Amino acid sequence: MRLPRHPFMRRHAARAGALAMLLALLAGCGGGGGGGGSAAAPTSTPAATEPPPVAPAAPPMSQRDAVRLAAQASFGASEAMVTQMRTQSAAAWVQAQLQLPQASRYTAGGTSAVHTDTSGVGFCDQPANKGDQCWRDAFSSQPLLWDFYRNAVGQPDQLRQRVAFALQQILVVSNLEVEGTYGLRRYQNALLDHAFGNYRDVLRAVALSPVMGDYLNGVNNDKAAPNENFPRELLQLFAVGTCLLETDGSLKGGRCQATYDNTTVRNYAYALTGWTYPAGGKSKWGCAPKGANCRFYDGEMAPLASLHDGAERALLAGGRKAAGSTPAQALDAVLDSLLAHPNIAPFIGRQLIQALVRSNPTAGYVGRVSTAFQSGKFSSGGLSFGTGRAGDLAATVAAVLLDAEARGDASPGPSGGRLREPVLMMTGVLRALNGRTDGDALGWWWGEALRQHVFRSPSVFNFYPPDYPVPGTQLTGGAFGIHNANTSLERLNYLTYLLNWGGSDPVASVPGAVGTKVTLDAFDTDAADADKLVDRFALLAHGEPLPAGPRAKVVEAVAWWTDKTDAKTWRINRVRTAAYLVFAAPQYQIVR
Amino acid sequence: MAHHHPHSPSRRRLLAGALGLGTLGALAPLRSAQAADFKALVCVFLYGGNDGMNSVVPMDAGRYADYARVRAGLALPQASLGRLGTSDFGLHPALAALNPLFAAGKLAVQFNVGPLQAPLTQAQYRADAGRTALTPPSLFSHSDQQVLWESASTDAQSRTGWGGRASAALGLASPVISVGGNGHFGLSELAAPLVLPGPGNGFGAAGLSSADVIWKSNALKLDAVKALAEQRADTDLAGAFQKQQLGAMALSEQLGPLVKRKPGEAGSNAAIDAAFAPLIANGNVSTGLGRQLYQAAKLLDVRATLGGNRQIYFAQLGGFDTHGEQIGADALSGQHAALLKQLGDALACFQAALTALGLAESVTTFTQSDFGRTFKPNNSNGTDHAWGNHHFVLGGAVKGGCHGRYPALAVGGPDDASMNSWDEQGRWIPTSSVDQYAATLLGWMGASAGQLDTILPNLANFGSARSLGFL
Repeated sequence: MRLPRHPFMRRHAARAGALAMLLALLAGCGGGGGGGGSAAAPTSTPAATEPPPVAPAAPPMSQRDAVRLAAQASFGASEAMVTQMRTQSAAAWVQAQLQLPQASRYTAGGTSAVHTDTSGVGFCDQPANKGDQCWRDAFSSQPLLWDFYRNAVGQPDQLRQRVAFALQQILVVSNLEVEGTYGLRRYQNALLDHAFGNYRDVLRAVALSPVMGDYLNGVNNDKAAPNENFPRELLQLFAVGTCLLETDGSLKGGRCQATYDNTTVRNYAYALTGWTYPAGGKSKWGCAPKGANCRFYDGEMAPLASLHDGAERALLAGGRKAAGSTPAQALDAVLDSLLAHPNIAPFIGRQLIQALVRSNPTAGYVGRVSTAFQSGKFSSGGLSFGTGRAGDLAATVAAVLLDAEARGDASPGPSGGRLREPVLMMTGVLRALNGRTDGDALGWWWGEALRQHVFRSPSVFNFYPPDYPVPGTQLTGGAFGIHNANTSLERLNYLTYLLNWGGSDPVASVPGAVGTKVTLDAFDTDAADADKLVDRFALLAHGEPLPAGPRAKVVEAVAWWTDKTDAKTWRINRVRTAAYLVFAAPQYQIVR
Repeated sequence: MAHHHPHSPSRRRLLAGALGLGTLGALAPLRSAQAADFKALVCVFLYGGNDGMNSVVPMDAGRYADYARVRAGLALPQASLGRLGTSDFGLHPALAALNPLFAAGKLAVQFNVGPLQAPLTQAQYRADAGRTALTPPSLFSHSDQQVLWESASTDAQSRTGWGGRASAALGLASPVISVGGNGHFGLSELAAPLVLPGPGNGFGAAGLSSADVIWKSNALKLDAVKALAEQRADTDLAGAFQKQQLGAMALSEQLGPLVKRKPGEAGSNAAIDAAFAPLIANGNVSTGLGRQLYQAAKLLDVRATLGGNRQIYFAQLGGFDTHGEQIGADALSGQHAALLKQLGDALACFQAALTALGLAESVTTFTQSDFGRTFKPNNSNGTDHAWGNHHFVLGGAVKGGCHGRYPALAVGGPDDASMNSWDEQGRWIPTSSVDQYAATLLGWMGASAGQLDTILPNLANFGSARSLGFL
């Protein structure tokens, strides 16, 4: 397989070679890192003085790199997962994840019955449905939250779920304003289904979702007075953003030049008129406006020509909605214009980097990921990703994860890292400590406490903006937008909750409840040796041992527990203390 | 649209063992002389874009007729409006709790204020056609306009808020204190706002408080946490994270019990509880904004803890983006009415608490919002994004009354930010700027002319009109 001749690859190769040598030297010092980095060996023509290129048998990941990749591409590393990952190169692992049959889906919760009732009595007021949990099960996102956390902690298609999680924070629908569990379920399943597909298909599914239609007033949008809510957010948040961008994500011309004006928003609004709910809904009082279907979420929105604008409308990137279009034709024109716009690749690419790897990617990194999005193809480690069609998410995600800026053992540098957002922090600790959850405690309790109650974003702008500024730095830091003195301490309290308070017991009203708990048995084997125990946790959580100074303090706190100070439970308390401190550490809380 | 289902599942509160057991020493209240020198600003941000045109409504025959004609189904009946003193304006009936404050001279209404780079006429706006900095960027985008208001700038990429910049420039002892989440307002170059949770919520690390660390195991654990937080950070983000964690641990020792305390619990301030009584049910303050302002009142009561004689606070209420179903069966009910009731009632209780604490003259509360909303409604019984808006300023120091210029009520008229016939919706070009609004508030706080220019980059463009006169 011939790799492209890209100057990046040569620099990468030189660096990888040097890195491999350095690590080989360090290996004798007892460091946790394994042999060479995860860099792919290129087959590009070498300069005269370079040694002949090594055949592209990409080496398996080091401990540090595997833990790093797990933090980027899964809901957190467990020892078993890292052992498996370390039999492969990063590229091979990513490919395996991309090829894994889909395992995760949303299935829990009520049905479309909430929208087919003709009695005129509210669904939960009806005798058959009365009960504490009616709203929870039939209208709320709580059943989705259960599935989300069960899948995140237990299902093997980790990367698919991570990408879907990233997409749901860009293409936001919130239970704060939209109710109907079956509809929310359908929306989130679409994101899972398309996670490795094409972004155009994602946009199409979102644009035709009746749930999104309700959330942003796109349903029954009438040419007589088109509502601009959905078209505006489609442009601003879901596709191209407000400022013109270079391929590398920087502002075109060094300042914000508007991507679109109000006229353009209005044109998209006209182009997106003429869709009603899918058929199937029923109501005692019929459906409005004339010809429209009643509210119903099982299916895509259906065209309603009487509401659709007949005029020609100019779209972005030279696109055009034709005069006399059908709603479907107009939607195609809308989607084509967005995929053709030079902004979409860096706009979406950069956010995927921020969601998976680091909050402040270099321009070069964004450029490489944009190229993968635009070309629909990416190659690394002798493997090829993507189908060659613009908007290919498999290629884009591979580009994000296999870029040099994401891989390797070295520190990513001062501008590297991302704050492990609350959802990923919660699942990460559970997975690392062989835990289980039905999700119930991670919504109204911990989700609210940490300001990330999944599926209940405060607005279409997500829990936090991707570019929230971090004072005291020149950087932005996404999840810092919901992080403050209070949540700083709540993160510690989450650890105490799991380790010292026994987490949560199963609650009878939760179907298939298991509560939220960790299982520390596996770590008992090293309890007698405090140094070994602490290192074991650090290797799992950080991919490498702690620096000497803090490490000594952690070991001291762990080693205080002995059969003299606590005859019966000193072992488990050593494990608890070590786990608490290692997961509380900045090395864990900030993914590097 | 979706029907509203107030959720009240049983929330498991953090019962953090030793926290709150008598660790709060008696903090001596400030002597009255110091109290007289103390001043605080409280920003209440209305997220989503409050419909100012239905919050404050003209009551003179001519303008009311214009209002009713254009507002159509959304128009409030004239008889329902709460007249503001003897002025030509009245409040939405849901804001009735604010009428007595107006009567007492403690409420000012600022008309038609919004982000501007410089004074802007309709002719200039149309000629500019969005090309230069004269037209603020992304005018109808929530996130951008929130940043413009919170940063008092026309830079949608601003990294700081005007509250944070003021805090830095004035050398305040504490960063902006937020009882309403992070936001942008309190950000400064070096400091994040101090964000505290609502009543009933713990603020502290379980097992690591001063009461906990009398046990050696906990003391060693705390030492290790601190060592980890003090280690050299290899990324700037880790450095910021660590710094915040250390600060949080120190502060939670002082503030944890106070923050957690709910109305009626031991140690609670009876005067504050009495002032908020209309909103208290079953030992809880029943509305979100009420809970935030209750916390603010508590913190102002023990202001010496956070220190300094100048403090800035931030609170917020969301849900104002009423594109559809802004009203219920009629204009008196529905989503906007519910939000305004929450706003008015919470502000009134807060003002009463301040009076009881002897702080009525010392604290000025003011609203901000993404933007106003279109004078002409849309087809979904709601309104869309606009620009200039009307805002409230409350406090004993306020020069009560109506300030600024109320727009001409003509869709497509001289105040309308319309470029084409199809976008004549009644979006007002502001006649007062956020800079001038902020300068009026900060000037009262004691900022010098030079400090105001540092904090508010566009203020100089407004020449000598640096105060809007409501303080």
